[in-house]
Amino acid sequence: MKILWFVISPLAALVVGIIFLGLSRRFMARIQWRYGPPLYQPLIDIMRYFTQKSVSHGAIFDLGVVLSLAGSLVVVLFLPFGGICPLRGSGGLLVILYMMLLAPLGMALAGGEAANPNSSIGISRKFALALGYEVPLLLIVLAVMTRYDSISICEIVAAQRAGLPGIATFPLVLSGFAYLLIMPAVLGLRPFEVVQAPQEISSGPLAELGGRYLALAQIQHALAMFIGISLFVNLMWGGASNPFVFFLKMLVVLAFGLTVNAAFPRLRIEQALRYLWRWPTLIAFVGLVLVVVIGR
Amino acid sequence: MSLEVLLAIALGGSLVTYLLSGVNARLRDGFAVLVSLAVAAGVASLYGRSDSTAFQTGFLGMRLVLRTGPLPWLFAMTVSSIGCLSVIFSLAYMRGRERTGFYYAMLLLIDAAMLGVVLSGDLLSLFIFWEVMSWSTFLLISYNGGPALAAGMKYFVMSITGSLAMLVGVVLVYATAGTLALPGVAAAVSTASSGFRLAVLLLFGVAFAVKNAVWPFHAWLPPAHSEAPSPFSAVLSGVLIKMGVYGFLLLMYVVVGMRGFLSLGWRLLPFHMILSIIGAVTIIVPTFIALLQTDAKRLLAWSTVAQAGYIFLGISFGTSLGVAGGTLHFLSHAVFKALLFMVAGAVEYRTGGVRDLNSLGGFIKKMPVTFVVALIGVSGLIGVPLTNGFVSKWLIYKTLILEGSPFLAFVALIGTWGTVLYSYKFLHNIFLGQLPRQYEDLEPAPASMRLPMTILAAVVLLFGVVPGIPLRAIDAIGSSFGFVGLHAASWGVAAESGAINMVNIFTAVVVGLVIAWLIFRAGARGVRVDQADSYAAGAAVPPDKYQYSVDFYGPLRRMMAPWLVDRADAFFMGLAARVGELSDGVRRVYTGFVGNYVMYVVLFLAALILVQIVWSPW
Repeated sequence: MKILWFVISPLAALVVGIIFLGLSRRFMARIQWRYGPPLYQPLIDIMRYFTQKSVSHGAIFDLGVVLSLAGSLVVVLFLPFGGICPLRGSGGLLVILYMMLLAPLGMALAGGEAANPNSSIGISRKFALALGYEVPLLLIVLAVMTRYDSISICEIVAAQRAGLPGIATFPLVLSGFAYLLIMPAVLGLRPFEVVQAPQEISSGPLAELGGRYLALAQIQHALAMFIGISLFVNLMWGGASNPFVFFLKMLVVLAFGLTVNAAFPRLRIEQALRYLWRWPTLIAFVGLVLVVVIGR
Repeated sequence: MSLEVLLAIALGGSLVTYLLSGVNARLRDGFAVLVSLAVAAGVASLYGRSDSTAFQTGFLGMRLVLRTGPLPWLFAMTVSSIGCLSVIFSLAYMRGRERTGFYYAMLLLIDAAMLGVVLSGDLLSLFIFWEVMSWSTFLLISYNGGPALAAGMKYFVMSITGSLAMLVGVVLVYATAGTLALPGVAAAVSTASSGFRLAVLLLFGVAFAVKNAVWPFHAWLPPAHSEAPSPFSAVLSGVLIKMGVYGFLLLMYVVVGMRGFLSLGWRLLPFHMILSIIGAVTIIVPTFIALLQTDAKRLLAWSTVAQAGYIFLGISFGTSLGVAGGTLHFLSHAVFKALLFMVAGAVEYRTGGVRDLNSLGGFIKKMPVTFVVALIGVSGLIGVPLTNGFVSKWLIYKTLILEGSPFLAFVALIGTWGTVLYSYKFLHNIFLGQLPRQYEDLEPAPASMRLPMTILAAVVLLFGVVPGIPLRAIDAIGSSFGFVGLHAASWGVAAESGAINMVNIFTAVVVGLVIAWLIFRAGARGVRVDQADSYAAGAAVPPDKYQYSVDFYGPLRRMMAPWLVDRADAFFMGLAARVGELSDGVRRVYTGFVGNYVMYVVLFLAALILVQIVWSPW
């Protein structure tokens, strides 16, 4: 049964991620009073990309794209998906935080060898933005780890399931609120869509990707969406006992992110950093202090 | 091999190398490699031994002792192997330069002196070898002349200050303990009053902190590391500054002793926590300063300061995981930072001394092996899973979180994100993007440079996947300090100390890569294109101008630069300027003319006579 989890968990993440991609296009369309494409449109797109011709800039270009997808697939194995958690005993949340590095790193390597300044600018923005949201995110994650006195995400979920979800308990409500404030940045949605910025830097790191490269990047994007939302549901909203409830909780978070996405224009990178390092960081910091002082 | 013979080979080898350079350059090169290999092999043969011998008995009535054990062995092994690889790397790097005989002799002498430091069994020989090491390091840092001379001077002044504090410490210890042999010293100091223990810690600590570049004593490091010849930068950053780490480990957990060290300070703010906070400061500020550098070696140098902060944070935190993590990070850092300085050296060698990150790019096409090892080194520096840096940092984070210091953990984790940024900048600006036309005929690094780099890269990966190899040696050190063992198995750390299973992670990543690659293979094949065939919105790609590497993190720099002033450096430079002015003033009095001095004497006598006449005090 446990062996099966290793197959089910990435497959489920893939399906959910691609549903999310289709759903978000649909959701945005309805907000803008359009019909929008059918739900399965991203799947059709990905299949079409696979059959199309593409250009390659070298071995690291290929490897980077593959590494980026592999990195996301591995992270999924560490995340509980409503009771399904294949790699529970191998290092926990710290390893997840580190594994989440592999995907952007792979994309950065591919984009670097693409020898296109649009890609380089996109990557430099990606790293700057990541540094921006990692400051509050780490404060939040540390608050959760300190509160439940564990670095294992499965134990954290179990502890929340035994009581109230983290966001409903006192000191952690601040951390949860800060998490919601940075959620669009973590998911790369507007107003933090600075990395790809299609109208400005030709989709940034994706500028040179076509055919199967773009297909892999799309799949990775779907997984990244899954990971970003799943982390919130697990850390703050107590996970779920079965995958279906978990999926519903993820949908709510996604709807929140998309609403913000629809309502705001894109920020400049400095504005984004200034925002991320001001209120979300302050709230997350106060949250962590309170957890350390009274929460244990 | 006995310890005296080992040191004699190391020291004598340096001298013979110098003499041989008058005979034949090729012979000398071969001999230098041979000596460093022999020393490394000799140290390796000491594994598991734990004994001491007096090599000189009649010095001021004291016995000078050499000893080995778990702690000295690990450091000696690292010193001798990095030293050996650096000599091999130097072969091509130094060819055709002047004073190469002097260079090799000094490089071997420094290695020998470092071996002496770690193998010393008493504080006097420690001090002697420490001084030899400091002097010879100064000579090599300023080898290139020009700005290197100023960098060397800065190092030298700070180093001397540290050494003087250490000398006072040695005298203080001798006055109390009546012996300088380590077991006797430890017995006397660990039972002494807390004030005495603190004094010993601070006096020796200044010397070690200068060497280990702990904030605020880091000011010498960035110029020294960037101006020194690259193979020596690898030694400097890889092992020489780690003598400070050795010193701290010796001081905290052998001389003062775990119990004596951890009980210092107040209950709410123990002394070792103050040191940990200093370590955290040493992580965060230099990391962000490194982000703004445009000189490849200066970027690496600032990164060294920051990583030294991780090590210092780990060992001063004082838990068994923390000390193990800090010690392991010393080893990890020695390997990957030596590797990265060699990469910078190889690029410097092929481009004719270019270190400016704004003018390079696209070297992956010309120096593929160098790129791959650079990628591995950078992954170790970031601490990507499956590299040695990951395991050591994981141990440090884990203990910080579980012992209830989330703020220190936060600083350490944010430091890692900063590391990602500057590491990628290093990699991107040299190897990725468009290749400038002037480097179209660039040749790959010579084989004698590729060999040491490849070995180091292999070690980064090996210790990352099978961390049990170094962890066993480190576990022995921890146990000798009196810490609880980690139960290190070859695949990682067992559940009692917080499970981490690198083999599981390794398997997951490999399977993930295979699956992703299979998906990738399923698609239609791509056409391989040239760098000129890049997307430029329909226009032709302008050669040499289609590159984004100048001001790579521009928005971040604009936001952070005002906050990132190196106040410690400004303070020391201000101090130096004041001392200079004072000396100028003194020089006005000490003119060097005998007539003036006669005048001073006469005036002084006249003043005395006046005083006697008026008040008659005598």
